[in-house]
Amino acid sequence: MATVKTKKTTKSKKASQIPVRYRVIGTRPIRHDGVDKVTGRAQYGADVQLAGLLHGGILRSPHAHARIRSIDTGKAAALPGVKAVITSADIGPVTDRVVDLGEGATRLQHLRDNILASGKALYQGHAVAAVAATSPHIAQEALRLIEVDYEVLPPVLDLREAMEAGAPLLHEDLHTDDLGTKSMQPSNIAKHLRFEKGDLEKGFKKADQIFEREFLTSMVHQGYIEPHNATAFWNADGRLAIWCSTQGGFTVRQQAAAILDLPVSSIKVIPMEIGGGFGGKIHVYLEPVAALLSKKSGKPVKLVMDRAEVFEATGPTSGSHIQVKIGARKDGRIVAAQAQLAYEAGAFPGSLVVCGMMCIFAPYDLEHQRIDGYDVLVTKPKTAPYRAPGATNAAFASETVLDEIAEWAGIDPLEIRRLNGAKEGTRRADGLVYPRIGFLETLGAARKHPHASAPLEGPNRGRGVASGFWFNVGLKSSVTAAVNSDGTVSLTEGTPDIGGTRTSVAMQLAEVLGLAAADVKPQVVDTDSVGYNDVTGGSRVTFATGLAAIEAARDIERQMAERAARLWGVPASKVKAAGGVYRHATDSKKKITFKELAARLDETGGPVVGKASLDTSASAGGGFGTHIVDVEVDPETGKVQILRYTAVQDVGKAIHPSYVEGQLQGGVAQGAGWALNEEYFYDDQGRLANASFLDYRMPTALDLPMIDTVLVEVPNPGHPFGVRGVGEVPIVPPPAALANAIYRAAGVRLRQLPMNPGRVLEAILTRDGKPPSKA
Amino acid sequence: MKLHVKTTINGEEFEFLCEPRESLLEVLRDRLGLTGSKEGCNNGNCGACNVILDGRLVNSCLVFAAEAAGRAITTIEGIQGPEGLHPLQEKFLEHAALQCGICTPGFIVAAKALLDRNPDPSEAEVRLWLAGNLCRCTGYDKIVRAVLEAAKSTAVVMEK
Amino acid sequence: MKNFAYINAASEKAAIESMSDKALALAGGTNLLNLLKEYVLAPEALVNIKGIAGLNAIESFEGGLKIGANVTLSELLDHAEVRGRYPALHQALYDIGTPQIRNMSTLGGNLCARPHCWYYRYEYFDCKKRGGQGCAAIAGDNEFHAIFATDGPCVMIHPSSAGPALVVYGAKVKIAGPGGSRDAGIEEFFTLPAAAVARENVLKPNELVTHVLLPPPNGKSATYEVRHKESHDWPLAMASVALTMAGETAQEARICLGAVAPVPWRAAAAEAALKGKVVNETTAGEAAQKAAEGAKPLSGNKYKVQLVRTAVKRAILAAATGRRV
Repeated sequence: MATVKTKKTTKSKKASQIPVRYRVIGTRPIRHDGVDKVTGRAQYGADVQLAGLLHGGILRSPHAHARIRSIDTGKAAALPGVKAVITSADIGPVTDRVVDLGEGATRLQHLRDNILASGKALYQGHAVAAVAATSPHIAQEALRLIEVDYEVLPPVLDLREAMEAGAPLLHEDLHTDDLGTKSMQPSNIAKHLRFEKGDLEKGFKKADQIFEREFLTSMVHQGYIEPHNATAFWNADGRLAIWCSTQGGFTVRQQAAAILDLPVSSIKVIPMEIGGGFGGKIHVYLEPVAALLSKKSGKPVKLVMDRAEVFEATGPTSGSHIQVKIGARKDGRIVAAQAQLAYEAGAFPGSLVVCGMMCIFAPYDLEHQRIDGYDVLVTKPKTAPYRAPGATNAAFASETVLDEIAEWAGIDPLEIRRLNGAKEGTRRADGLVYPRIGFLETLGAARKHPHASAPLEGPNRGRGVASGFWFNVGLKSSVTAAVNSDGTVSLTEGTPDIGGTRTSVAMQLAEVLGLAAADVKPQVVDTDSVGYNDVTGGSRVTFATGLAAIEAARDIERQMAERAARLWGVPASKVKAAGGVYRHATDSKKKITFKELAARLDETGGPVVGKASLDTSASAGGGFGTHIVDVEVDPETGKVQILRYTAVQDVGKAIHPSYVEGQLQGGVAQGAGWALNEEYFYDDQGRLANASFLDYRMPTALDLPMIDTVLVEVPNPGHPFGVRGVGEVPIVPPPAALANAIYRAAGVRLRQLPMNPGRVLEAILTRDGKPPSKA
Repeated sequence: MKLHVKTTINGEEFEFLCEPRESLLEVLRDRLGLTGSKEGCNNGNCGACNVILDGRLVNSCLVFAAEAAGRAITTIEGIQGPEGLHPLQEKFLEHAALQCGICTPGFIVAAKALLDRNPDPSEAEVRLWLAGNLCRCTGYDKIVRAVLEAAKSTAVVMEK
Repeated sequence: MKNFAYINAASEKAAIESMSDKALALAGGTNLLNLLKEYVLAPEALVNIKGIAGLNAIESFEGGLKIGANVTLSELLDHAEVRGRYPALHQALYDIGTPQIRNMSTLGGNLCARPHCWYYRYEYFDCKKRGGQGCAAIAGDNEFHAIFATDGPCVMIHPSSAGPALVVYGAKVKIAGPGGSRDAGIEEFFTLPAAAVARENVLKPNELVTHVLLPPPNGKSATYEVRHKESHDWPLAMASVALTMAGETAQEARICLGAVAPVPWRAAAAEAALKGKVVNETTAGEAAQKAAEGAKPLSGNKYKVQLVRTAVKRAILAAATGRRV
């Protein structure tokens, strides 16, 4: 409590000159789950072993779009070792309603149909049937014995074609929600949204120059190293247990309950350690299937995807087509900005185009804006969030146009951003008015960084700059914290720890109670053992579960003060707590440490447990990043080498700076892969050709330099320590920063991702009047 | 028909039965309970299943279990000595060189194989050697630093 | 993966007696295991040839080297003579695949590897090599496919990185079969799809590459590879070059391209252009232009024509100067 109070006083001008001194926050303790993870002892989803465990497999559609006439599972079922075979018919009918996934919502019918296709297969890789057998190899052989009669239908792969009238329809019953009005004709456009501010035409009239550009980005995958997995056991008492790798145990429980038509309380989800998610491990794919196979076989069943299945049949993020029109004055001031974003939803509605719309001009204070967004169905897997979903595609468009404007106006790229930069009080096109934000501070820190002024040595080198925004989410978190007699606290959380959040949350509890980080014993538990928690997503855990931990710590502190009061026979109001020491308000002889008090709980009334359940949505603070990158472009091969990278970000308050830096570095690496290498190759029939890590080309250690980070700390007023989410912002700027650097190095503007050697080389040769087609 | 295989894992003798088509990774994980070796791709593209086989770093997903007969294997479970964590494990923790942790065993086994061969690698050598291991969380920065620091600390120990 | 019988072959003879079109040789396994996992191949037996004595040594031979087929790429890279006398081979192998792959892959396996073409590797695509009717690469994503010999029936690129270097060194391949042993010139070893679409070389199902014979090098050599990523990736184009120099003049030149045709692709016109010339930027560039002549790129890989020029020019200059360019 004391620490929190100190923090509050810093709001006054005078106190703010004194830096807040924390004991735990801002230090770099060893993470609590660290030893298990460096010794191979940590248990991930695929590591689950149970007595009598069966191994499952899933048959997937080889066609991107096909009507399923019939499925014959007879031969598969007859194979020795096969214990269960299921198809979509084994899932009961569902009431069609909307299910909230914590990060986006989806129609239950669609969720169900994505698990096992009913009626039509809507992408290559769409699950059609599943088996459980005594070994994974027998399961695989059984799948090859299932006979499916398909009527192959034309695929729709290009989202511009999908939007046209007359395009093959994925869902005959889907009508466009066009700014709130249902379209008459069925369509592949699920939704048209608009944000508007000011008077666009009036704004463009003030422009000295209008820049109109068009951008394409490919579908890309989150690329987590751990494939999806689920193990389920449907017990004879009707209780269902699910072990899986997920960003949210409660979200799995909710989806599984809806699909299987069970009360949520019948399902216990045990979230195992998770090997990366980045937004891709929120939707369920395997869990209900494993459950049904278990129900049918009476045994526990484990399903683990192989890498090809992960690429084909989970939720990559949308490819997009973005048009941007920006009007600027000669002095670099932007007077009007318009954008139209069309995002691939995949086979079912629900791309996060709305997030792209929120973020595309978010770093800037622009009077006149109009942003249109389209959610478009194509015969590709249903897309899922990917780290700042939608924002990276959008920033690639807006931030490269801004670079062009800077060049046209003769203004430094950092300066043009400062000139137009958003600050406290700026209203975004979607209506939100910013509280205290730190965008301008990131620009200032970027300018001061030696990288910004270091000379570029050698030919074919260039430096690019870009900024990015992510709004971050709050949502619901619950924790309980039990005081142990040895003076430590066992902290129970329900948000899976993907990148060190056990520690960043425990540190906040430790700070309030005056403990060392190691004195808190955090664990992530199953859905029966803690109150409701939303997913680990939206960069929310250190912020929101952290807030819950702070509340729980305050709860403990209040109870501990009562215990001290009881020891001393004084009213609780006489006890003051600070830094883990409880003192009598006036009698200086009466003081006791947290640890001493913890040893005396039994004599003062028994155990002490703190708890908190919060909906923190109102106070999540958005984050901004500004990146600087140097590249060398080989003019004879088109290959882009990253020479130096600096990521500057407003992180609010870095609880554990090492893991904050790690978030920035990881985001940059993913953004660089998206920018330079990664893409989905579909043939004209909609079949994925590069469903392997080798052909998908994620960056290796040899493809990247060290990634410098600058943590700018502009506290979030919505959190006592000032925490902002940090995980998503850093993937937003890299493609634009790299495109801008490539332009400065090679003189070519690339407006399509990825910017691979072939594409860069063709741009260079075309610029030189030697297009490769004439080679 | 199952094959009877005798092999040495982390200095201990093991015997197991397996089908010819079972990979070493499958047997380690599903038959012997050594689940520290992870399956990330099953194609030799990610390094999560790295083991050291007769002194050479290999992807255990690309080795048949039958090929392990009469050979010596080190897995992540064998990296920690009786005296405690290996310096690589210590440095991975100190440098926050892991986030989700799924790739970590593979990186530590690969880095061990590197340091066994080259106790004082340059940054470029570390990056080249670790290029067979994918990490999607860290951007490799802290991993490379941890390996370089571990090399320094083992060098100091050796001097003493 | 379909199950199979596992046979440990103790000798060449035993291996050959066990091998057939239904019983394949297992060496490094880095290529074979993936093909088995994806059901591209489903043999009844695998014959493990790793235990055969004599196939895992590098020996001096007639002034050059005799390299056992089971020698791994790492062992080649660690070999002082390979590094010192055969830089084109060393550079070709230096950072291919990953350290793990180089530790497992054998030289024999590198020469006999099946194509990496994704239309070959996924059963839902049409592929003549797998007995299908057409070639999905022609109309599909072919930016990584061949630009030479694209008339069909298959537009794969040969996956061997060692191949072009062995061609410029004039290596021979020792093949053991039921009738005994024979030597084949490395260029005769690789075959075009037009000859037999189902295979990539002259080996019969019961024949085995046992050794590669490298004659003594006759001058300077180098390999230059253009790759998308720095490592852990396939070449987009590569060139190996061997030059017999008299001062700064190339008396003889041998140039072979990789990753651009269904076989290592000898660039005879480039060799002729360089022969008798002082090697410099200009002459290397002229030879590079010649190397790209005759290319017939597919719909998506015109850029590779320029990559060939770049690789050839840089390999020539690297060979002549002894420096990476």
